[in-house]
Amino acid sequence: MEGVNVSTHPEIPGEPTQTGTALLEKATAAFQGFGPVNKIHQHLCAFHFYGHDMTRQVEAHHFCGHLNDEFRQCLIYDSPDDDGRLIGLEYIVSEELFLTLPDDEKKFWHSHEFEVKSGVLFVPGVPGPVQRQDLEKVAKTYGKVIHFWQVDKGDKLPLGIPQVMMALTRDGQLYENLAQDVEKRYNISFEKERENRAYIKGPAHGIHPMANAAGKGLQTVLREVDCKHEKSTRVFV
Amino acid sequence: MAGTNGTGAQAGDEIPPGKRMNMEQHMLDKGAQMLQSLKPIKQMSQHACTFALYSHDTTRQIETHHYITRLNQDFLQCAVYDTDDCTGHLIGVEYIVSDRIFETLLPDEQKLWHSHAYEVKSGLWANPRVPEMVARPELENIAKTYGKFWCTWQTDRGDKLPMGPPALMMSPQGVGIGIVDPVLVQKRDEKYNISSDALKTARVEIAEPEWLNPQADYWKQHKDKGFCIDVETTEMKTRAPFP
Repeated sequence: MEGVNVSTHPEIPGEPTQTGTALLEKATAAFQGFGPVNKIHQHLCAFHFYGHDMTRQVEAHHFCGHLNDEFRQCLIYDSPDDDGRLIGLEYIVSEELFLTLPDDEKKFWHSHEFEVKSGVLFVPGVPGPVQRQDLEKVAKTYGKVIHFWQVDKGDKLPLGIPQVMMALTRDGQLYENLAQDVEKRYNISFEKERENRAYIKGPAHGIHPMANAAGKGLQTVLREVDCKHEKSTRVFV
Repeated sequence: MAGTNGTGAQAGDEIPPGKRMNMEQHMLDKGAQMLQSLKPIKQMSQHACTFALYSHDTTRQIETHHYITRLNQDFLQCAVYDTDDCTGHLIGVEYIVSDRIFETLLPDEQKLWHSHAYEVKSGLWANPRVPEMVARPELENIAKTYGKFWCTWQTDRGDKLPMGPPALMMSPQGVGIGIVDPVLVQKRDEKYNISSDALKTARVEIAEPEWLNPQADYWKQHKDKGFCIDVETTEMKTRAPFP
């Protein structure tokens, strides 16, 4: 099915959460620490498209935490609200770490330079000068995005297999209506922000030719295999 | 490379490698956190610790930490980490649906999902630091659900950075290649000062689902077959040049 290329938020089938269940979860949360989740401290908004199909584009709300100065891990939701669907995840690494990856791995990773410099990637609610301090770093990084839930084609549930996603690398790729929708909702102008970010530099060595799938499409396929189970056969057969 | 059947990184491991954060970055993070509401993250209401097996190689087994958000009575979404402290690596995402929803899925979809009844009944599924009595009603819900778990960072084999395509994960079961390594369970139990055996006894009363769909836990009814994801290079459908 074709993507619809408007911001979608499909209704998930199922009964409303029972009051008892909701109360229970409040109680449960009160006992628990939520360690790794507490490291999530930043909301970034951008767009992804499918590794094999640029014409299917998805607004992606990233909730990111640093593991160190060169590595961020992000949960991706289709909306920044309470009922946001968790549709995927992204890993963001410094140029230095990216360059340590084997060549066969590099294809999964996309550059961030254009997303930042075009103004399209932004940090909602954070003043321009403050967000630009961080975006100066992001512009030099590479990201690996996997989506598990194809909300753009209206899937009410996460169906099928994971998809490798790519991101914007030049003008003319992003649908105007998707851009305008976000600009209106957040009262921002990508064009104006682009001017503000003109000074920002991308990776020191330039964008690696193997990144962005080397300009090809990437498509995931499912393969049935024998589970390896030497240990078990020895013990149980 | 063989899995170490550990819980991922221990203190001192450099997974991932990289420079430490400086004060400026800490300030930027704090600032963003204060200005942004991070609503979907605040909806996470439950931490569960359990185990998972790689579908393509069930001898590789990992301890998992699920941070769970309920979107309605029949659907939960989980961010999965390899430890429960602030160094935890985000290793994947799991979706959980009620048996009612699961039965509406097509067989080709169902084969990617695993059942949760055994995990709950055997005491493998634990909610750390939550009294069993409090967790009980939710455990009764979970016992009747199915999950679909994609792992994107194989820290168990020592990957310092996320490598390769995502891997499908299966749940522990009481038979055959689904049996989880007791050493892994013991390690977890010691960390939280719990006993999976005692939990198992305490959960005897939890009703078994009347029927487990045989398309789930695919390997059980399909000669120990599993699934893996390959990535093929194709032409990209474009609307402007790429990259």
